[in-house]
Amino acid sequence: MATRLQFENSCEVGVFSKLTNAYCLVAIGGSENFYSAFESDLADVIPVVKTSIAGTRIIGRLCAGNKNGLLLPHNTTDQELQHLRNSLPDQVVVQRVEERLSALGNCIACNDHVALTHTDLDKETEEMIADVLGVEVFRQTIAGNILVGSYCAFSNTGGLVHPHTSVEDLDELSTLLQVPLVAGTVNRGSEVIAAGITVNDWTAFCGSDTTATELSVIESVFKLRAAQPTAIVDEMRKSLIDSYV
Amino acid sequence: MVQYNFKKITVVPNGKDFVDIILSRTQRQTPTVVHKGYAITRLRQFYMRKVKYTQQNFHEKLSTIIDEFPRLDDIHPFYGDLLHVLYNKDHYKLALGQINTARNLISKIAKDYVKLLKYGDSLYRCKCLKVAALGRMCTVIKRIGPSLAYLEQIRQHMARLPSIDPNTRTILICGYPNVGKSSFINKITRADVDVQPYAFTTKSLFVGHTDYKYLRYQVIDTPGILDRPFEDRNIIEMCSITALAHLRAAVLFFLDISGSCGYSIAQQAALFHSIKSLFMNKPLIIVCNKTDLQPLEGIPEEDMKLVMEMKAEAAKTVIGQGGEPTNAEEVLLTMSTLTEDGVIAVKNAACERLLNQRVELKMKSKKLNDCLNRFHVAIPKPRDHKERPPCIPQAVLEAKAKQAAEKERRKTEKDLENENGGAGVYSASLKKNYILANDEWKEDIMPEIFDGHNVYDFVDADILQRLEELEREEGLRQAEEADDDFEMDGKELNPEEQRALTEIRKKKSLLIQQHRIKKSTAESRPTVPRKFDKDREFTSKRMGRQLSSLGLDPSLAINRARSRSISRGRKRERSPDRVDTNGDVMDMDVDTPNKKLRLRSTSRSRSKSRPPSEVVPGEGFKDVTQKGKALKLAKKSVKKRNKDARRGEADRVIPTLKPKHLFSGKRSTGKTQRR
Repeated sequence: MATRLQFENSCEVGVFSKLTNAYCLVAIGGSENFYSAFESDLADVIPVVKTSIAGTRIIGRLCAGNKNGLLLPHNTTDQELQHLRNSLPDQVVVQRVEERLSALGNCIACNDHVALTHTDLDKETEEMIADVLGVEVFRQTIAGNILVGSYCAFSNTGGLVHPHTSVEDLDELSTLLQVPLVAGTVNRGSEVIAAGITVNDWTAFCGSDTTATELSVIESVFKLRAAQPTAIVDEMRKSLIDSYV
Repeated sequence: MVQYNFKKITVVPNGKDFVDIILSRTQRQTPTVVHKGYAITRLRQFYMRKVKYTQQNFHEKLSTIIDEFPRLDDIHPFYGDLLHVLYNKDHYKLALGQINTARNLISKIAKDYVKLLKYGDSLYRCKCLKVAALGRMCTVIKRIGPSLAYLEQIRQHMARLPSIDPNTRTILICGYPNVGKSSFINKITRADVDVQPYAFTTKSLFVGHTDYKYLRYQVIDTPGILDRPFEDRNIIEMCSITALAHLRAAVLFFLDISGSCGYSIAQQAALFHSIKSLFMNKPLIIVCNKTDLQPLEGIPEEDMKLVMEMKAEAAKTVIGQGGEPTNAEEVLLTMSTLTEDGVIAVKNAACERLLNQRVELKMKSKKLNDCLNRFHVAIPKPRDHKERPPCIPQAVLEAKAKQAAEKERRKTEKDLENENGGAGVYSASLKKNYILANDEWKEDIMPEIFDGHNVYDFVDADILQRLEELEREEGLRQAEEADDDFEMDGKELNPEEQRALTEIRKKKSLLIQQHRIKKSTAESRPTVPRKFDKDREFTSKRMGRQLSSLGLDPSLAINRARSRSISRGRKRERSPDRVDTNGDVMDMDVDTPNKKLRLRSTSRSRSKSRPPSEVVPGEGFKDVTQKGKALKLAKKSVKKRNKDARRGEADRVIPTLKPKHLFSGKRSTGKTQRR
């Protein structure tokens, strides 16, 4: 089920949170509204952790992770690292990465099996991703953008990518990731997918600007609420054509 | 896309207000003080400015009116015609034309009077000219008073027009008066249109919005139309006709089959046929309303024939648009707004038909190719035999299974926050949800820096193991040390040795005591100057005696004391070489017998002092030699200045070269230098 919410009047919820199948990280906000939106949905199942990374609240863009592990940028403080280690279950490996490109969330997109990375990432970082997150790593671009982490969002069940991705690219990426993919937008036409949505295998949270059409595309492609990705080409096709063209 | 918003047109003041506004502005914003004695050019300029300023303001105000009112030829034809119907195009254009003429007239008046002012030869004449100029301008405005009033009325009416977007998905409801059009729009949208049991309750267009298949549809309720010649129709009916003619919408033609509206089916069919040209190329649905009073099957034979005729006609428009001939069922629908029977079916049919038509048109456009990728779902081809299952925890599946059956609401942080003073007051503990081996550890405070070291640098996965190792090692050491102490304290010294030991200890404590006394009184300096040391208590002879009593050769010490001149205070010894220092400290650290000292690890390594002669590379110099050279040059450059006891470059004096008092006045006798 997809939920629409806001972080302090910003619809970029993917910037201020990181959702995986084993845990959820949430930025520390002025009030508990944002945290509680996650808490009420998830806290029975996975830990929902309030944290900062490198003293900032843009945690979703700074870290990358899946159910196996969590990669943090080199400027994460020791205290934050300890806090995360204390808060996450022992099966989740928390690791700090010495990588020049410190916005790991923008450079790495991953689910529990596959990761796409920025083309300029270090060799060591690549190995670290493979080890800590337990994934196959592919250096890729999405619609000509090297920040793969920003322009796509995918779980083990499906994925949403930048709206300008060509059909051939879509097919290629889909074969790499082994999940169905759709080109689309969030937050009323925003191209930065990962900033507007944060998703795992059974739930999604997106910015409150997201339109009904966008939300239905999201729910179908991520197979939330029993919808199937094929719905996009079948029953929703007309609505999509009328709203896009 | 053009937005049609007539709500932002600025208010048009009436003639009198207009004049007041402009004149008071001139009064406030131009200089007001003038005197007869001023130069004539200044007087002329003063009044010319007033005339010009007034003209400028008139021009600005009139221009905003002209610009802000929509030009009927430039806006969407729907709005163009609607405004024509409501306000009469000729009248509207005439009013705006008058405003434009007034603008030009005022400019001309100002130009003339400024020219005249150039020849004004006194304050009085200039003033008269100004008064005349302003007066004529105001007369012009007064003359267009009626136009201004008319435009103001139109502005107020336009601001209240519904904001209809002529290009979006639209459903248009039309039919005879009192057939249930407004009831229908009230049912399917949140618009609150007045419904009354008499004709022409709805006197203008009303807009509501409804959703179908994730898209928003604009629903327009039109006033009822009567079947009469076009020229006889009144303004209210013409609104409907305009909407029908210009909006590319799905049209719902409402038919009251019960006849309770006061018009027979035959009359309604006649209307349908007279305006059917307006339905061309639009999805048309004939809706038979009020089935609660009269089901469709029960109407008389001839009426049924009329209905079927209309149905055939409506089906023709479908084929006329070249689309797939939709099954005839969708062209004629029945419903009852009273029982809400079939209302949703009508809405869905209309939306679906409209959507189909729009999609069909868009499929032909070029823009579609840019968006093709967005209607494509990339399904992965298998590339290996690895299973990549989704990872959904059992708890989620279970929760989904019972799904709100009895979903007890969890007490969230937000609830806690609201209970404890709200946002900004409540601050949640970050440690609350720690997953630790022992829950009591949650709130433990962990030092960040300990003994000058960052604690987290030493945190490891195998820290417990290493701690155990260290403890074991320490245990071994302690055992060893206990042995050592035993040996040192040993009582197996012979009596002679023991006596010597006590002697040494006694002496030591005595010395320490004396030193402390000395230190506390005069910071280790001799308290008594030699010349007052009458008793010769502190002589080298006495030192010799004492030393030899200890069995030491005093000559060396005595010589040394004599060779030195008396110096006050104790000189600080030169610190040992830096390389050695480090090593020494380390060594000492290792074999200091003092347990306390050893246990407390040195909080940080000793800072290394740098010999003053050494040059540190850096500050943009290539190497040490270059920097040395530069330093030398710098020192040399300030040498002279320092010698002259100047503070810096700026410290210089230029004496008064020719002091006034020496060079002025008569000089009868005496010198120029000194007076």
